[in-house]
Amino acid sequence: MASLIGSYSLSFGLLFSILIIFFSVKNLKDAEILDKKIITFTFIQFFFVVISFFGLIISFINSDFSNETVFNHSHTTKPLFYKISGTWGNHEGSLLLWLLVLTLFISIFLIKSNQQPKKYRIFTLLFQQIIIVGFFIFLIKTSSPFNYIFPKPNEGLGLNPILQDPALAIHPPILYLGYVGSSIIFSSALAAMVTSYVSKEWAKHIKKWVLASWVFLTLGILLGSIWAYYELGWGGFWFWDPVENVSLMPWFALTTLLHCILVLEKKKILTSWAMILSIATFALSMSGTFLVRSGILNSVHTFANDPERGLFILIFLFTLIFLSIFIFIFFHSEKEKLENNFFWLSKETSILVNNWFMMYFLSVVLIGTIYPIFLEVITANKISVGPPFYNKLILPFLIPFLIAMAIGPNLNWVKSDFKDKFYMTIFLIISFLLSAVIIKQFDINFLINTILVSSAFFLFFSTSREFFVKRFRNLSQNIAHFGFSLLILSILFNNIFSNEVITNLKIGETLETEKFTINFENIEQEDEKNFKAIIGKFSVQNLDGSSDILNPELRIYNQPNIITSEADIKTNLLTDKFMTMNYVQNQEYFNIRYQVKPFMIWIWVSVILISLGGFLSFFKKRYEV
Amino acid sequence: MKFIPIFLIVSIILNFNLLKADEIKTENKIAKNLRCLICQGQSVYDSDSEFAISLKLVIKNKIQQGLSEEQIYSFLKMKYGEWILYDPVFNRNTYFLWLLPILIFLAGGAIIIKRFYNKK
Repeated sequence: MASLIGSYSLSFGLLFSILIIFFSVKNLKDAEILDKKIITFTFIQFFFVVISFFGLIISFINSDFSNETVFNHSHTTKPLFYKISGTWGNHEGSLLLWLLVLTLFISIFLIKSNQQPKKYRIFTLLFQQIIIVGFFIFLIKTSSPFNYIFPKPNEGLGLNPILQDPALAIHPPILYLGYVGSSIIFSSALAAMVTSYVSKEWAKHIKKWVLASWVFLTLGILLGSIWAYYELGWGGFWFWDPVENVSLMPWFALTTLLHCILVLEKKKILTSWAMILSIATFALSMSGTFLVRSGILNSVHTFANDPERGLFILIFLFTLIFLSIFIFIFFHSEKEKLENNFFWLSKETSILVNNWFMMYFLSVVLIGTIYPIFLEVITANKISVGPPFYNKLILPFLIPFLIAMAIGPNLNWVKSDFKDKFYMTIFLIISFLLSAVIIKQFDINFLINTILVSSAFFLFFSTSREFFVKRFRNLSQNIAHFGFSLLILSILFNNIFSNEVITNLKIGETLETEKFTINFENIEQEDEKNFKAIIGKFSVQNLDGSSDILNPELRIYNQPNIITSEADIKTNLLTDKFMTMNYVQNQEYFNIRYQVKPFMIWIWVSVILISLGGFLSFFKKRYEV
Repeated sequence: MKFIPIFLIVSIILNFNLLKADEIKTENKIAKNLRCLICQGQSVYDSDSEFAISLKLVIKNKIQQGLSEEQIYSFLKMKYGEWILYDPVFNRNTYFLWLLPILIFLAGGAIIIKRFYNKK
């Protein structure tokens, strides 16, 4: 029943698109003010998508296996929370979620933009409707979440256990808020070009959307990363996996756009660049969806390998890109006031430098991700592009980037003398000495590590100082930049100082290393609702006399029948202790992986700080000098 | 003069341990740079699959046979193809992969400089 209602509301939602487009075009010609009907229809459309979405959730809660999506991705023994999160843990449901957010955002846009010109609002709505119609058709034609199975199966196939996790339950919705937020930026940029509204006012108005999408995207990536850390069982948080990269690319584009909009808000320059970035951000979000959903990339995110779906997204994507290029060429005119006050040492230049590096990082990730795909298609050679490639191309460029980031915000808008030279020099020297002392003890790649750590320290000190000098002026920016320096420092220290051991142990055995002693005490079995758990008990004696008890787990899920390994992590302010255990085939040994990872929690904290910066900026009236 | 043999033995043991520690370091480093071919986006080092476990043994043996890191990579490349290496080799196939980002960076710099001089 719920499925049926969901299915019908989806069709009704699509019908309302036709009404909205019809009345918008009509409204464009005659009236002075925006027709209230259009707003009402947009709300009704949103309402129908909500009903459809709830229809799917209810089918999942009731384990209605006559619904194909529920049958494929749920099971009666699954806890209620994961029945609900299973709604978007699959291809069909996640697309419905996309559509839900698309219609939600355009409704919010219409309410929030009542100060903006009528034509601009209608055009934004129209462009957004093109995207919405595309997704409606995509859902209904190729991936309907409401397909009917007869006869009704008694039991479902279950959800992949590694997706049954609290962080991953909210990761897709948060990430989608970021992705789909970029659709509003895209539509509004196209509308602004068509109506010649690319201006300071536009920048000020769209900045809120840029910030909101950026904050959600950052948090979405963070959640995915935390999940990978404790669920995938290898103790890393970022592997430069194509699917991770796909979410990082729009993030780079959005971060660039955010900085570019700040300039545009002040002076009407860099307009073309802002337009290109607005289009690119959405194109990257869409192609991310395409790459992940089409099955080209092999990963846990690939729910279905249906070429028809990939083809549809590809055609849709090209249509949108073609449309935006067309509008950019024929409607956008760069009427910048050629102001003569553009100096080397100014905030504008430093933002340009930011844009420059961001684009470089983006291009490294983009090329690294798609190059192997193209190479395979053209020459049938399969190559892998992994962490070493990204480290080699990104790390050296991080050094000037960090230094520029420390200096840039201290510059004025037009021209500035390099004030605070004294402090900056002092900070540079302290940073260098400090890093040299720290790295010296671990003599690994002394030169490059020292320089990297010093530049991160330099940013750390200069942003810390700004908290005192500037107080609440520019607090949001300063928090975000401070967070970034903390992030880089934590990642570097985490890499340099981590300690790990992998070994096979029997119950009762003990492993001694220079830094710790691991004692495998015993194992216990527990029965849960949808899995059996084998819990190992380990005690770890550290060098300083302290000891920890760690209980890594093996879970044997009933449906689908998969064994997963759950890490046990002891977190404190300085280090994480991370242990996983695995079966060794046909033996009484267990494979134990124990890692001591310093500053792990600071990686998460710093990303939260970065998002907090964006969040605070959202409530600020305008960017201050 | 008794302490000389003791000293020698101790130093050999110490050196042996050092060598051993170095071996494990290279072993891990190599395993981290290899793709576990049967896994979904994991390195040999990070994976506990049978493939990864056996490959770790292969690496260990090769190191003990005295092969250098480069030799081990090229051996594995011969056996499993370039797909196994996470660090793509710089050759005809990958010129663009390595150089295009750098070219983009240089072009970006050129655009900024040009912009500055135009304004002036």
